[in-house]
Amino acid sequence: MIKVKDLKKTYAGKVPVHALKGVSFDIPSGQFVALMGPSGSGKSTLLHQLALLDTPTSGGILLDGVDILSLSQHAATAFRLRHLGYVFQEYALIPELNAIENAFLPLMLLGMHRKEYMRIAGDLMDKVGLSDRLHHLISELSGGEQQRVAIARALVNKSKILFADEPCANLDTENKGIVLRLLRKLCNELGQTILMVTHEPEQREFADRVLWLRDGRLEKEEYISKDTQEEALHNGYRTDISSDPDYLKDD
Amino acid sequence: MLNIWNDFQSALFLFFKYVTRGNKVTLVLTVLMATLAFIQINLVHGILSGAVNLIYSQTKNNYVGNIVIQPGKDRWGNNEEYIKQVELLKRKINAIPGIIGCSARYSLGAIIEYDPDKTGKDIRSISWPVKSVNPDDEMRTSELHNYMLAGEYLDESDRDQIVMGREVSGGYGASLEVQSLKGVDIGDEVTVFYHNGVVRKYTVKGIYATVFPLADMTVFVTQKEMESVLGIHDRASEIIIRTDEAYPEAYYIQELRRAGVELQDIRPWQDFIGLVLGIAQSFDIIKRIILLIGLIVAGVTIFIVIFIATISRRKQIGIMKAIGMKESIIVTSYILLALFYATIGISLGMAIIEFILKPYFIAHPLVFPMGRVSLLIVRSEFLTSIASMLAVSILAGFIPSWQVSRENIIKAIWG
Repeated sequence: MIKVKDLKKTYAGKVPVHALKGVSFDIPSGQFVALMGPSGSGKSTLLHQLALLDTPTSGGILLDGVDILSLSQHAATAFRLRHLGYVFQEYALIPELNAIENAFLPLMLLGMHRKEYMRIAGDLMDKVGLSDRLHHLISELSGGEQQRVAIARALVNKSKILFADEPCANLDTENKGIVLRLLRKLCNELGQTILMVTHEPEQREFADRVLWLRDGRLEKEEYISKDTQEEALHNGYRTDISSDPDYLKDD
Repeated sequence: MLNIWNDFQSALFLFFKYVTRGNKVTLVLTVLMATLAFIQINLVHGILSGAVNLIYSQTKNNYVGNIVIQPGKDRWGNNEEYIKQVELLKRKINAIPGIIGCSARYSLGAIIEYDPDKTGKDIRSISWPVKSVNPDDEMRTSELHNYMLAGEYLDESDRDQIVMGREVSGGYGASLEVQSLKGVDIGDEVTVFYHNGVVRKYTVKGIYATVFPLADMTVFVTQKEMESVLGIHDRASEIIIRTDEAYPEAYYIQELRRAGVELQDIRPWQDFIGLVLGIAQSFDIIKRIILLIGLIVAGVTIFIVIFIATISRRKQIGIMKAIGMKESIIVTSYILLALFYATIGISLGMAIIEFILKPYFIAHPLVFPMGRVSLLIVRSEFLTSIASMLAVSILAGFIPSWQVSRENIIKAIWG
C-alpha cells in the first residue's frame, strides 16, 4: 500500500524548480500502476521520493504503513534493502559481478547464508528466463537480459513494492515485451505492487491503472480494463514468441 | 557484532570481485608503483644505515672500543697525566661480566722523520702522536691486527719496531698523502723525536689499513718500548674496553664505577666521533625525508587509482546505495583494495630486497670513504616502513571512497 499526500519537491537554485507541486494518491497492494506524463512533468522525481532516493520538500509518504520521511539515513538504507525493489532506466548492474552475483547482492547484504541466497537468486533468475546465463558477466548479456537481471535483483528481497523508472527505455521491441510481461506476471502471481514510470502509451496497457502527471501535478488517472491487459500480455511488443522466457509462455 | 561481520564479508566480496574482474593493467601498475616506493624507502634506508653502521663498527673495532677510560683529576682538581695502577684496574675491568677485554695505551706526541735515501736531502717528517699497545691485550679489544696490508703486527717483545696506518705511511691507496711520510714501506727505518726529548729509531714492521681514516692515522709501538721512553711503569694514557654489547655502554660504565673505577674519566665511544656522529645524524634526517617522499609517492599513487576507480564507478556506487548497501561497506571494500595494492607491493618489495638487492650489495658493496658499505636493513625501520605504507594506503583508500560514497544517490547515478 502506497499513500502519498500533498507531496512537494523544489530544487533550490537561482531559479528554484518546483518539480512536484502537491501530489496526492493511494495505490493499494498488488496494483500495477503506470506513471505517465510529458518530459519534465515530475514522473522520475516522484519515483525518487517514493523509493527513498531523494528527500521531498514537504508532504507525506506511507509505504505499507511506514512513514518513510521520518526515517534516519541509516534506517532509510535498511528500509530500501528490506522492503523496496528498484529497476533503473539503464541497466544499473555492477560490471564486476556476474548475473547471479548481481541478483543475490541484496540477500548477501541482509546476511543470508550463501546456500540460501544462491537458491533464491537462482530461482528468480530461472523465473526471468536467465537460468542459462547465471555466470555470465554483465558485459556478456544483451540489454534485455541485463534488465531482467536488474528485475531479479529488485525482487530477490521479496519486496512488496517495486519501482521501475522507464525500465524499457533502452530496449528493443522484443525485450520491451519480455520485461513488461514479466512485470505484469509478477503483479498477478506474487501480488507485487508496481509503480512504473513510462512515456510510451502502449506500455500503460500492461498496468492496472495510469497516473498522469503534468507540471508537477496529478492531472488525471485512468484504469485499464482486464481485456486490454490480456491483449497487451499476449500481443503487445511481440515479434518472436519463441524468444520469450519459458516462464512467460505458460498462459 | 553479527552485522559488522556481515558487512565486512560483503565488503570482502566486493573487493575480491574488484581484484579478480577489475582492470589487470591498473592492478599491475599500481602494485608496481607500491613496490618501487617500498624498495626506494628501504634501499636508501639500507645504504645509509649500512654506512652509519660501518662508521660505528669501525670506531668500536679499530679506534676506541666501546668505552674509553682516561685520567681523572687529582685531589686538587688538576687533570692527571696518566691513569695509575693500571694492572689493578685491568683486573677489575676484566672481572665485570660482559667485558670482552681491555687494553692500556700510552700516547705521546712526536715528530716522525723518514729519510728514504739517507742523505738528508729528502727528509719527510710529520707531527703525530705515537701510541703504545700490549699486543696480547690489543688483540682482544681491536681488530687492527687483521687489517695488515704489509708486514706483521707487533709482538710483546718488540722494542725497535713500529707499526703504522697507511694514512701515516703514505702509499697503499692512502687518501691523505700530503700529511703522510709519503711512501714508507716495511723494513724502512724512521726516526721518532718524542716530545719528552727522547729520540728512537724504529724499523717499520707493518702497515695496516682499515679504510677508516681515524683508525688509519695512528702509529704504534709496544707498551714496553713506550715505558722505556717515558721511564714510567703501570701507567696509561687511556684504557680501551670492548664489551659484548648485550647492554648499552651506559650500563657498563655504571658497572665500571661499581667495580671501583671511580677517579677516572669514563666515556662511551660516541664521545670520540663528534664529526662522524654529525654525519650519522644527517643520514637519519635524510632517511626520514626519503621515508616521507616514498610514502607520499605510494599514497598518492594508490589515492589516484582509488579516486579514479570510485569516480568511474560513481554510478555503480549510487546504485549500490540505492539497493540498500551501507556507505561503510563501500568504503571498506575500497580500503581493502588499497591495502591489497600496498600489501602486494610490500611483499614484492621485500622479496626483491631479500633475494636480489641484498645479495647484490654483498657481492658489490658500495665504496665509501670509511669502508665498503652493503645494505643494512634495520628491523625497526623496516617494520616502520611497512606500517607506514599500510597506514598511508588505508588513508588513500578511505578518502576518495568516502567522498564518493557520501554523494547524493540521484546525483551519483545521473550525474
